[in-house]
Amino acid sequence: MLRIKNLHAEIDKKSILKGVNLEIKPGEMHAIMGRNGSGKSTLSNVITGRENYLATKGSLELNNESILDWTPEKRSLEGIFMSFQYPVVIPGVNNTYFLKAALNAKRKYYGEKELDSAGFLKVIKENLQELDMDTKFLQRPVNQGFSGGEKKRNEILQMLTLEPKLAILDETDSGLDIDALKIIAEGVNNYRSPDRSFLVITHYQRLLKYIRPDFIHVLIDGKIVKSGGKELALELEEKGYNWLDS
Amino acid sequence: MKKLDFQNEFEKIIDRNYSSKKIQPLRKKAFDKFSEIGLPNKNLEDWRFTNLNHFLKSSYTLSGLEHSDPSELDLSQFSIPNTDTLVFVNGHYKKEFSDTIDGLKLLSGQEYLELKNWSLQYPSECPFELLNTSFMDSGMSIILEESQIIKKPIRFLFIVSAKEELMISPKIHIDCSPNSSFTFIEHQVGHSDNFFMNTSINCYLDRGASLDHIKIQSNSQKAVNINKVHVKQSRDSQYTFFYLALDSQLSRLDIKNDLNGKGSECSLNGLSLSSENEQLGSHIITNHYSPYCSSSQNFKNILYGNSSGIFNGKTVVHQDAQKTDSKQSNKNLILSNNALMNSNPQLEIYADDVKCSHGSTTGALDEDAIFYLRSRGISLMNAQKLLMKGFAVELFDVIKNESIKTFIIQEFENWLAEKT
Repeated sequence: MLRIKNLHAEIDKKSILKGVNLEIKPGEMHAIMGRNGSGKSTLSNVITGRENYLATKGSLELNNESILDWTPEKRSLEGIFMSFQYPVVIPGVNNTYFLKAALNAKRKYYGEKELDSAGFLKVIKENLQELDMDTKFLQRPVNQGFSGGEKKRNEILQMLTLEPKLAILDETDSGLDIDALKIIAEGVNNYRSPDRSFLVITHYQRLLKYIRPDFIHVLIDGKIVKSGGKELALELEEKGYNWLDS
Repeated sequence: MKKLDFQNEFEKIIDRNYSSKKIQPLRKKAFDKFSEIGLPNKNLEDWRFTNLNHFLKSSYTLSGLEHSDPSELDLSQFSIPNTDTLVFVNGHYKKEFSDTIDGLKLLSGQEYLELKNWSLQYPSECPFELLNTSFMDSGMSIILEESQIIKKPIRFLFIVSAKEELMISPKIHIDCSPNSSFTFIEHQVGHSDNFFMNTSINCYLDRGASLDHIKIQSNSQKAVNINKVHVKQSRDSQYTFFYLALDSQLSRLDIKNDLNGKGSECSLNGLSLSSENEQLGSHIITNHYSPYCSSSQNFKNILYGNSSGIFNGKTVVHQDAQKTDSKQSNKNLILSNNALMNSNPQLEIYADDVKCSHGSTTGALDEDAIFYLRSRGISLMNAQKLLMKGFAVELFDVIKNESIKTFIIQEFENWLAEKT
């Protein structure tokens, strides 16, 4: 699904990623852990194609195709989704309008008929239920006045609606209380399937109690210094990151 | 159009045999004053940012009866559902194309002035106002009787459509007697290339009256559109103004709103949209003369290309206006490197127990928001349009009448659809 080879990236000429290698196969869930400033968010921004995040070396492929010169929207349409660490407030645009525009952009890209309001509501209502969200969410401007938990739930709602092949969860657990965390984890777990992959980016192993990655990688100073199974998370919880510093 | 050129046109209007002689002294007095002071220039604070070059280079002629035939126009393209419309073609009222409105007191310009003993109720020394009085036409005025409530909005549709570069000077009076209420739409359509529309709208709201005033200006690219709006409000009256300005080479709105009576309220709102080389200015003065009044100014600009915008908003809270509640906001989106916004929100307070706020922001579209939308598969262009819509949409909520609101949103969408 996603293959990253010797990826180097910089922001404002500052080198952040210094040779990342990672392969995510269909159905797999990988977690990237690391301290603040280790390059975790840079990695997700490079994958999603954010401007100013410049890949200087190496390759980034989705299903054997290089995506480095794809626009962010093309990456999304081709199946990459990121749940934002800090979802953006969009004043004046209500959630329904936004979600419908996004879903229809995707349907159009795949030559499907765009959904009208009734068709869209049918799709969205199921997803709302799944996340224990009220329909009143739909009428509010995107993320405006949403609590931390509501914002993150709204991200997962978008994920369920857009049905990506690769979902990146960037610090999805931050700002969540335990109940919200459980609901979100359940949403994610139910969404797992043999052809869907996940990349979970997290600072703490708290989230990993509820969603179980197949592989864990530790990112330090722009490189993956250690990879392992679930047990690595517990080891990190116990020992911190210092023992991995060279 | 220079000062001297106006002299020629003025002689023509004075020689017209179909207008009342009694109106001539008013015209003459105004034109003498205009000749004395001339056109405004950039040395005047209030005209500092207004560039009159295109106006000065153009030469406009008076609109005569030969310009009043709308037979070649398809008026249905300008219709707004559920409104009663009076049609003005190149400044001439066209009764045969207008709706008849039962129970409405409509007065011609002359009839109105006669009622006021041939004196102006809203004198002004502004050069363009003096020109308006010198050349006044389309003088249809409305007087609402006490407690008269008109549910269906009344629209004055001004169409400019001619081969010549015309000068049109509507002077309109709207007098609302105590406790009366209605919605007035001023709809200006520029159907010819270059013209000069110099409008003066004068509204008086007596005790408890309520007026929703909608002004829609959809101009051709070379039009010059100068608009004066004077509003005087008595106690407990309510005035809501919504302005949509689309295109035109130069569009300038000057509103002066006097809150003379206790408990009166006004809400002034505007959205100016440019495409390429326009100058769009809103100059607003709200005077709080009485206590317990509230006012708001909420104006937005979206600027493209080499266009420029001006917001010159002033709220003055005079000494007796205790318990004033006033808000002032100006927000602008700049969508090109060459577009320019001049924003000048001002607040003058001479009373001590008041609540006043003001603010202004000008900037590009939020990059984080654009990335967020693109990361959901929405194209860059559509992401920008979605954000522009989000920026504007709040203003439309002040329009209470659904038909008009739908029409205005459609005008906005059409403007947006042309952007690439």
